[in-house]
Amino acid sequence: MEIVTVSLIALGLLVIMLSFGVPLPFCFGGALMTMVFMGGATMKGTMVWGFSQLANPVLLCIPLFVFAGTLMSESGIAASLLKFVNVFVGRIRGGLGVVATVSCAIIGAISGSGLTGVAATGPILIPEMASKGYPRGYATALVANSSILGLLIPPSVTMIIYGWVTDTSILACFLATMGPGLLITVLFSVVNVIMARKFPLVLDPPKPMKETVQEGVTMTSRAIPALVMPLIILGGIYGGIMTPTEAAAVAVIYSLPVGFLIYKGLTMGTFFKAAKNSATSVGAIMVMIVFSLMLSQIFVMEDVPQAMVEAVFTITQNKFLLLILINFLLFFVGMIVNDITAIILLAPLLLPLMGAIGVSPVQFAAIMGVNTAMGGVTPPYASILYLSMRIGKVEFSEVIKPAMILIIFGYVPVVFLTSLWPKLSLFIPGLFGY
Amino acid sequence: RTWKISHVRPQGTAIDNDLRWFTDAIKETTSGKIRTKVYPASALGDYTVVQERVSLGAVDMACQPPSSAADKRFQLPYFPYMVNNWEQARKNYSTGAPLRGTVAKLYAEQGIQLLAAWPVYFGGIALNTAPVAQGDPNAAKGIKLRVPPMKTFQMLADTTGYLGTPIPFSDAFTAVQTGVVDGVIGSGAEGYYSSFRDVTKYYIPANTHFEVWYFIMNKEVYDDLSPKLQEQLKQVATEFENRRWESAEADQKANEQRLADFGAKIVNISDAEIAVTAKKIQSEVWPVVLKDVGEEWGQGVLDAIIR
Amino acid sequence: MEKFFKYTLTILITSVAVLEFYQVVMRYIMELPVMGLDEILVYPTLWLYFLGSVNACREDTQIKANVLDIFLKTDRARLIVRVIADVMSVLISLWLTWWAWDYFSYALRVWKESPTLYIPTFYAECAFFIGMALMTLYTGWYLIKNARQLIVTSQEVRSH
Ligand code: NA
Ligand code: NA
Repeated sequence: MEIVTVSLIALGLLVIMLSFGVPLPFCFGGALMTMVFMGGATMKGTMVWGFSQLANPVLLCIPLFVFAGTLMSESGIAASLLKFVNVFVGRIRGGLGVVATVSCAIIGAISGSGLTGVAATGPILIPEMASKGYPRGYATALVANSSILGLLIPPSVTMIIYGWVTDTSILACFLATMGPGLLITVLFSVVNVIMARKFPLVLDPPKPMKETVQEGVTMTSRAIPALVMPLIILGGIYGGIMTPTEAAAVAVIYSLPVGFLIYKGLTMGTFFKAAKNSATSVGAIMVMIVFSLMLSQIFVMEDVPQAMVEAVFTITQNKFLLLILINFLLFFVGMIVNDITAIILLAPLLLPLMGAIGVSPVQFAAIMGVNTAMGGVTPPYASILYLSMRIGKVEFSEVIKPAMILIIFGYVPVVFLTSLWPKLSLFIPGLFGY
Repeated sequence: RTWKISHVRPQGTAIDNDLRWFTDAIKETTSGKIRTKVYPASALGDYTVVQERVSLGAVDMACQPPSSAADKRFQLPYFPYMVNNWEQARKNYSTGAPLRGTVAKLYAEQGIQLLAAWPVYFGGIALNTAPVAQGDPNAAKGIKLRVPPMKTFQMLADTTGYLGTPIPFSDAFTAVQTGVVDGVIGSGAEGYYSSFRDVTKYYIPANTHFEVWYFIMNKEVYDDLSPKLQEQLKQVATEFENRRWESAEADQKANEQRLADFGAKIVNISDAEIAVTAKKIQSEVWPVVLKDVGEEWGQGVLDAIIR
Repeated sequence: MEKFFKYTLTILITSVAVLEFYQVVMRYIMELPVMGLDEILVYPTLWLYFLGSVNACREDTQIKANVLDIFLKTDRARLIVRVIADVMSVLISLWLTWWAWDYFSYALRVWKESPTLYIPTFYAECAFFIGMALMTLYTGWYLIKNARQLIVTSQEVRSH
């Protein structure tokens, strides 16, 4: 059988097992079995290879960023950032929604994953928004969608992984998703202000100027230990003090004294709980990654990437159409697997195609970054949306409609702009000489 | 079945071209009985894993550095300041030399057949900041160098007055670019041009070590071949090696020139200065690493080095 | 078990962060880079990954998508799908564990050592097989539990 056919069968089975609720690592294991029993691939030496990949220091950024994110929400760091942003935009109509988006963007400059925003701001913001007249489903959808900015505002785990698997400068990849990330922040804020007109919002009575200024000073000074974090992390990375992985470790260590002593959100109890929960998510993610890496390696050994490029070129060679096609492909993949796995599987597969049509690896980083980030909120596999539903205590049916509105008006335009307008992703890296 | 050949450099580099030459030559010589395909840029894993995969038969062939993870005695062919010049290098690394026999034996213990050597370059130091007292091994330089995870290179950096700094290879480029470290040791002009040219402002051809890659294949696959095919394989592999010995020195010069054309300043150090450094390394680094690999065995190999 | 995982996982993830942090401090503030730290880091890291995943199996919190559940109306239908998924999981997990065993015995045979400190890497490598074996056990345990539950529910349906 043609290797492309077998690969498609393997991926098809993966989707079937996934929809039955087979844990993701085993779904990849099943796809591996298909490649071995139907495609004649061998597992000999693949475990050795997989283990060595898993031991790669670059992957260490994942556990560290997951842990840092959990500590940030438990410690009260995120909450103080939220109150800080609220001072500036909280008073305008629909302002609380803007607070959600902007806070998630700022938290994004500390955290490397898409889960931190919702985990940290959701428990505070969703009830608060609901009490002020926002529909609960809408509040949840907005926080979930904004939370993804954690992957687009540097640092970002997905971009570290992309840089690693494609041998592209990680710092350039970080900056590539920044333009799209900022644009999404603006779009969400605008969409929110428009949507807010229809909601029966309860507005705070205007306070006297003096009180407002006083509150601003208090909240800002309370927020300083938290605001220092992005400075340490991004300053540390771009200032030549540490590597992105080390920055994640510094974020973990920094949040300990701040969480235990300043914001006092951390106690021994919450710390152990945070550590155990982080380690469990990390384990689930990493074992899934090792098997997706093995599947990707089997694809490389069987020359699937070249066969794919040839197959795609028989459909069309038009750059514009190809980019649209790839966006659709990434959208569907984003529906069924998580961001890191999508990048591990697809970046090496598609990069040769991008080279052939003249899309730079850095722009492609942004294309993959935006698409895979969006995957976090597109069902059926929508980890970030599900987490926010749990936090917001809402049903799927309440959250899906506002989520779709935000995706269509916030994400989709940016996804296409990133593909078709290289400047959006390449301008900021260009400023830094990439 | 088509054999897979792995190597560590991008497409279109010297090793890639030579392996593609081999692919054509072996196909022609054996009238298509042996077919190979080249997988560049560590697509099948970094050289440590690939060596294991070759020994397991999951990858058939590779041309790459020996991996000391499998056997620490593989540090020996990369001993710093062991050979001085191209002529001496060819004498020691070619077929028939004691060192070559030792290396073949080490590979054989891993279930790997050694086919040929592919000399790469004499190593040097790439810097992103101006060099300091580059000829004097005793001067503390205050320069942080990224060292590969190999004891010889870490000690080499520290013994010559640099601050050896371990950074994973995948983070190395970024680390030099942002200034986490100021330069890199453990590779040569070709390697720096390939992976670090954007951050190499100075290059010091310090002759740190002689980099040689070995063309290896799974021993079982080799043993299963008919004597005639084995003979043909050996013959083409030997030609592959000889072609490289003829061009390697010029290739090293060409790569230094490419670094220079890309904006790096080549900072030469004199033979006398190299000799001083070599002496210091031989008396301070060698004994430590010899102890690690087995003093008697190691000394025996070193004694057999042709002067 | 709960206590064992709570303390072990906390120690592992914290030590990974602390070691990385120590590296930055030593290199940037003390200007004394620590050799071989990456080699040491491999051990807590790999055990963290595999024990974390074992715990996810134990708590039944592995990453899943459960798309079919959205369309299923009855608990019994969901339970049937769950048992099918469990059977598939156990089969695949067994196959992976078998290959992990292959790797385990290979690692034991070649007994590699880390490049500069010469610590045997086997102590990290064995986490793969041990982790996979425990994951299979916990997955199998859920299969038995859910299958029994299904039998009970089916009997209840029939008796009604
Ligand atoms: Na981020
Ligand atoms: Na999704």
